[in-house]
Amino acid sequence: MTSRRNTMTTALLVDLVTNTADPGYAAAAARRGPEAPRRWFDRPAVALGCGLIGLTLAVAYVHTHRAAPTAAKVHAGLVARVKAANAAGDSLDAQAQRLDAEVARLRARALPGTSIGAELDRTELLAGATPVTGPGLRVQLADPHKPTRSPGDRPGSTPITASEILTDRDVRSVVNELWHDGAEAIAVNDVRLTPTSAIRFAGQAVLVDFAPITSPYTISAIGDSDVLVTSFADSDVASRYHTLASANGIGFSWNQVSKLHLPAMTTSAPRYARPGSTGGSR
Amino acid sequence: MIAGLALVIGVVVGLVLRPTVPGWLEPYLPIAVVAALDAVFGGIRARLDGIFDAKVFVVSFVSNVVVAALIVFLGDKLGVGGQLSTAVVVVLGIRIFGNAAAIRRHVFHA
Repeated sequence: MTSRRNTMTTALLVDLVTNTADPGYAAAAARRGPEAPRRWFDRPAVALGCGLIGLTLAVAYVHTHRAAPTAAKVHAGLVARVKAANAAGDSLDAQAQRLDAEVARLRARALPGTSIGAELDRTELLAGATPVTGPGLRVQLADPHKPTRSPGDRPGSTPITASEILTDRDVRSVVNELWHDGAEAIAVNDVRLTPTSAIRFAGQAVLVDFAPITSPYTISAIGDSDVLVTSFADSDVASRYHTLASANGIGFSWNQVSKLHLPAMTTSAPRYARPGSTGGSR
Repeated sequence: MIAGLALVIGVVVGLVLRPTVPGWLEPYLPIAVVAALDAVFGGIRARLDGIFDAKVFVVSFVSNVVVAALIVFLGDKLGVGGQLSTAVVVVLGIRIFGNAAAIRRHVFHA
């Protein structure tokens, strides 16, 4: 049974490959016999058929090549919108920081040399609301080099490859290790971390407080740089990324910096949290 | 002679008019192209074999397009449209290759 079915399938395939001529021609020729007279519709029919075929090919060509620029146009439009939104966000951020600085200046003038002013400065420093400088450690994490895109690729068709293997978890573990090692202020790709900062992952971008950052990730931490370097070098995190760097080709390095400058982050005032009694409500 | 002229005219008309393909027709365009190429190669081969027939040529082209589109349409309705259009392209592609080989034998005697 199986062998019969196999031969039938094989016969079908052989027939498909060997008898490629349309049997209609042979049948028509046999019906009309040799030296048949030319009929009145022969020429118009051939012309019509060829015209239709040409039209089909041209329409398909035009259609395909019209669709491709549309996709590219949509992609370019989206990129432009994202860039415009980013620029608007940046300018708003700059404005907020300028206003913050002005507030600080006016406040310093209103409360000259009082203990309230000093305490406010200290609190703002802790909250990441003022730019800070100091010695520290700079850690660099980088994705492996991407294979270059071939020029024939349509935009938007780049496959997600294994080249993007660093995620929010990697950035977060380094940041957590640095906090643990005694860092006092940390910025990731010049985005300052505040007490309410979150490091998340969306699509293919790492988000630090809603600001998308891409590889290479530079994590700068201010603190006692000797302690930071020795503790970080000893940590599990550092040894893990050393292993990954040799196995997967990610970039991982750190260096001690004598003077780091971390930017301020505009923080929003807490709306629900109120100062409680020092005993807490445990 | 007249066939080549008509082919060129068809291409020019298509390029000049640039008709918009309605969305429901879009999936059948590749099938129509392959069916058209099959008709062209089949016709040339029949001509070289000396059994060309205008009626068979036109009818085979139109029916190829219609049947192929129908198969793909049915496949779309049953959820196997992609596979069936692959099948249509494979079968017609094999025929195109076979006909091209026959034409080559006629032209180059090789």
